[in-house]
Amino acid sequence: MTFRSRTVLFITLAVLAVSAAPALSTDPDPPITIVAMGDSLTEGLGVPEERAYPAVLEQNLQKAGYPVKVINAGISGETSAGALSRAEWILRLKPDILILETGANDGFRGVEPEAVKKNIAAIIRILRKRDVVVVLAGMKMVKNLGEDYIQAFEDVYQTLAADFDVIFIPFILEGVAGDPALNRDDGIHPNADGYRKVAAHVQPYVEKAIGRWRGREADG
Amino acid sequence: MPHSRFIFRQLTRSGNQAAVFVLCVTLSIVTLVAVNGFGDSISRSLLRDARTLHSGDIILHAHTPLSRPLLDAAADLERSGKAQTVRIYEFYSVVRSGMGDDSLLADIKIAGPAYPFYGRVTLASGRDFQSVLTPGAAVVERPLLDRMGLSVGDPLKVGEATLTIRDVVVHEPDRPVSFLSFGPRVFVAMSDLDKLDLLKRGSRVRHYLLLKTPEGTDLERMADRLRSVAVPGQERVETYRTARSRIKGFFDNFLFFLALIGIFTLLLSGIGIQSALTALLKEKERTIAAVKAMGGTGRFVIGHYIAVVGILGAIGTVLGLVLGFALQWAMPTLFGGLLPDDLPLTLSFRAMLEGLVLGVMAVALFAFLPLHRLREIKPGAVFRKESAGRRRGLPFYLAAAALFLFFTAMVLWQLEDPRIGIWFVLGISGLILLTALAAAAILAGLRRLPLRALAPRQALRGLFRPGNATRATIVTLGAALAVLFSIFLVEKNLDAAFVRSYPADAPNLFFIDIQPDQTAGVSELLGTAPRYYPVIRSRLLSVNDEKIDRERERKRRRDNLARTFNLTYRDYLLDDESMLEGNSLFRDDIDGLQVSVLDTVVDMRPMAIGDRLEFNIQGVPVTAAVSSIRTRTKESIKPFFYFVFPEDSLLKHAPQSIFTAVRVPKDKIGETQNRIADRFPNITAIDVTQAIADFADIVHRLSVVVRFFTLFSLLAGVLIIVSSVLATRFARTQEAVYFKVLGAKSRFVLTVFTLENLIIGLISAALALAISQTGAWIISVRVLDIAYRPYPGASLLMGAATVLLVVAVGLSASLSILKQRPVIFLREQTEE
Repeated sequence: MTFRSRTVLFITLAVLAVSAAPALSTDPDPPITIVAMGDSLTEGLGVPEERAYPAVLEQNLQKAGYPVKVINAGISGETSAGALSRAEWILRLKPDILILETGANDGFRGVEPEAVKKNIAAIIRILRKRDVVVVLAGMKMVKNLGEDYIQAFEDVYQTLAADFDVIFIPFILEGVAGDPALNRDDGIHPNADGYRKVAAHVQPYVEKAIGRWRGREADG
Repeated sequence: MPHSRFIFRQLTRSGNQAAVFVLCVTLSIVTLVAVNGFGDSISRSLLRDARTLHSGDIILHAHTPLSRPLLDAAADLERSGKAQTVRIYEFYSVVRSGMGDDSLLADIKIAGPAYPFYGRVTLASGRDFQSVLTPGAAVVERPLLDRMGLSVGDPLKVGEATLTIRDVVVHEPDRPVSFLSFGPRVFVAMSDLDKLDLLKRGSRVRHYLLLKTPEGTDLERMADRLRSVAVPGQERVETYRTARSRIKGFFDNFLFFLALIGIFTLLLSGIGIQSALTALLKEKERTIAAVKAMGGTGRFVIGHYIAVVGILGAIGTVLGLVLGFALQWAMPTLFGGLLPDDLPLTLSFRAMLEGLVLGVMAVALFAFLPLHRLREIKPGAVFRKESAGRRRGLPFYLAAAALFLFFTAMVLWQLEDPRIGIWFVLGISGLILLTALAAAAILAGLRRLPLRALAPRQALRGLFRPGNATRATIVTLGAALAVLFSIFLVEKNLDAAFVRSYPADAPNLFFIDIQPDQTAGVSELLGTAPRYYPVIRSRLLSVNDEKIDRERERKRRRDNLARTFNLTYRDYLLDDESMLEGNSLFRDDIDGLQVSVLDTVVDMRPMAIGDRLEFNIQGVPVTAAVSSIRTRTKESIKPFFYFVFPEDSLLKHAPQSIFTAVRVPKDKIGETQNRIADRFPNITAIDVTQAIADFADIVHRLSVVVRFFTLFSLLAGVLIIVSSVLATRFARTQEAVYFKVLGAKSRFVLTVFTLENLIIGLISAALALAISQTGAWIISVRVLDIAYRPYPGASLLMGAATVLLVVAVGLSASLSILKQRPVIFLREQTEE
């Protein structure tokens, strides 16, 4: 066996191992794979991974009796274009449900809201092609950017939610943004307390997504 | 009873040696006064630059509105006249053109009328900044006009207000601190703050309060008091001295180097003082012996010579101080345009006094040994032809120890970093020891050299003439030259490092977040194909199956393994990288995925080739084996990656963004940004032109200053050469006479002397070159952390120049000897 073919085999095996993992599980009720895709707000900048909202959400859902696995696929600093570029890669994780939280970094850099919309729409299309249940997290922008921009920016999410019939969280940081007690010193990233609140806020939407996914499974 | 006529006669009859001695004293005083005084000025100037960079003495900073107690404390200071304050708000906002159809993210700055406390905001029109920034006005950076197609006089919508663009800002003193900015600057008057309606709950604003304090304020104490009322973790209180600044590191290197030059010059002139004095007293040996023979006590002799040395020293000191003053006058001319015009270039009284005290101490210490040796001169020396033998008794070692302690104290005091100071002293001691050993070895080798021709044989014999200080001369010269060459080499390397950091073609426009399928389009728009760096964000999960302890890692003060890493893939080393372990980035004998790590990672946690690293690449676990360890010179602003994977690997398929940096002519920047933004709105461009220009300017000023001070050490080196040649003058005269008496022609004598000097020069220069290359390499790589280049051409030139100088000085000294008629010398010898 040549070196090259061995490498190819290795990679194939590695990929197979990743993709086969859920299937090989002997668990009677195979866990539902939820991927939390997003930027630093999902990744949990400055807090341990187990304190960021995906991990807290997983605990909460499991406590509530849902056989779920929540994978944190957040990348600090990522824009909607970045998220689009890795949408295919994320499918390697075989998500059943995907919470999409992106666009904040576009806002901070004053990216045209229209561009943000196009990127998120493209991501949703990729996910739907694979029958992933999409939970879209809406984003609001800091007030200093100016009312016109903020309005156009927030409209992006409303429009997308309407166009694609995804489960829509109007604002993922509801009740957390702007509260110094729930944010880190930088004033924009939630701290552990903040993430507990985010997880609680997100949970009903994800439960709804689980319902939708189960319904689909039952149909299929 | 002092015998004033004796002292006077000794003074007037001392000739060249006395002149060299006085010059050495002068040089050491001038250097100390100038380096210290100028160092003070530079320090002040650098600190002032630092102050300008922060635009205030104390900076209060927060992402939230400043708290009441902190504002009250600042107001108290202002009321009691202890400080002036100014509020500054900075935030990003999307500004629109008058019609509202064009928009752009801008970096808004709203500052009170007292801004800036230090430096000034320069406008394209040349008008006064605050007089232009009236209510309703906006002052913007050029790229904003270019990118929005606006010009001065057009309306600009910022938040809820419609302002009029009144001018273009060319330079903003505190701009370099915010090195990375996502948009062009827009200044708005403080009185328009409410009209913008952008500062409210849910806004993200950088709040600043700058304090300006009167000269002589204890900043640290004031800052501490403010800190005690600040909200911990949320509000930062810093002084311009402590505030982090990218430039500080470079400043520190230069000040350190300046201090080094000061110490070296002092050391060199000290050596000069000693050898000049030795030469001077050597010529007086017979006089002294005569005085002793006539009944003069040792105390009489030493007392009078201390007076002679004291007077000469005083002349040198006064000259030094006068020159120091003169230098103060000359400084504005010398450094015209290099330093800020309004910098008071005064040599402080403290610097003067310090220079004086240290200079006198140096003279006393370095003069001790030659004076002490006077005691050893026996009255009988009047009749003997050879000078007294040199014993190394207790006083010698005491004097050596005192010199060592003095030197160590100087170094520690000047360098202000005990660890580096100790290393430095050990290094210099090692240097001298090494020079001595090498010189001894070479001389021993030369002695065995079988030579036929008479002239070279005589020259070689001359070196080993009893009582001749050949070895001492070579050690002195060699060590001094080694220091001098080292300064030269380090300076050249420093300079080159900065040139390399900021070459004329250094990139000024950074593009981040380029998507993989956009590189061709970007190259097309830029009209060039820059190097693209794929960036794959990832986290390290475990090393050899041992999980990374995130809590513990995060507690590290510096870099840690818990943070997000940018991975990349490529099969080649970057220009500023080299292999530390392993011969190539990747190996053939490792199966599966490989990764090359940077030594910085190994510093955080030991790793070896073959170790398994597990990464979490955006949710997907990937394991790779360490294939090599790389290192890089940390001198330039270049992208670098801790983890590099092979080009043809899994990583290529991982989600990635691409980074690149290009050089764009200043007037094309706005246009380029526009073109990219129009076609690829996701790509963010960062313009660092102004920041780099400001920085390069400061660095250039500093290097001129260092070069100027290197001249002082050069001068000291020349004086050492002169004095060490003069030191052997008496013995030479004697020899020349004997040669002539034996029938030798002037030409032969000249050949012998030239050869002798040539040998001394060659040995010294060779030793100096060898040692300085090693020393400069260590200083560059270990202390300054820059890459080292040996500059062989320049080094050889320096060596050749040295040899030439030694021979030339030797010849000029010998010519007068040759002119002397033997009979006069012989008569003097016997009849005195």
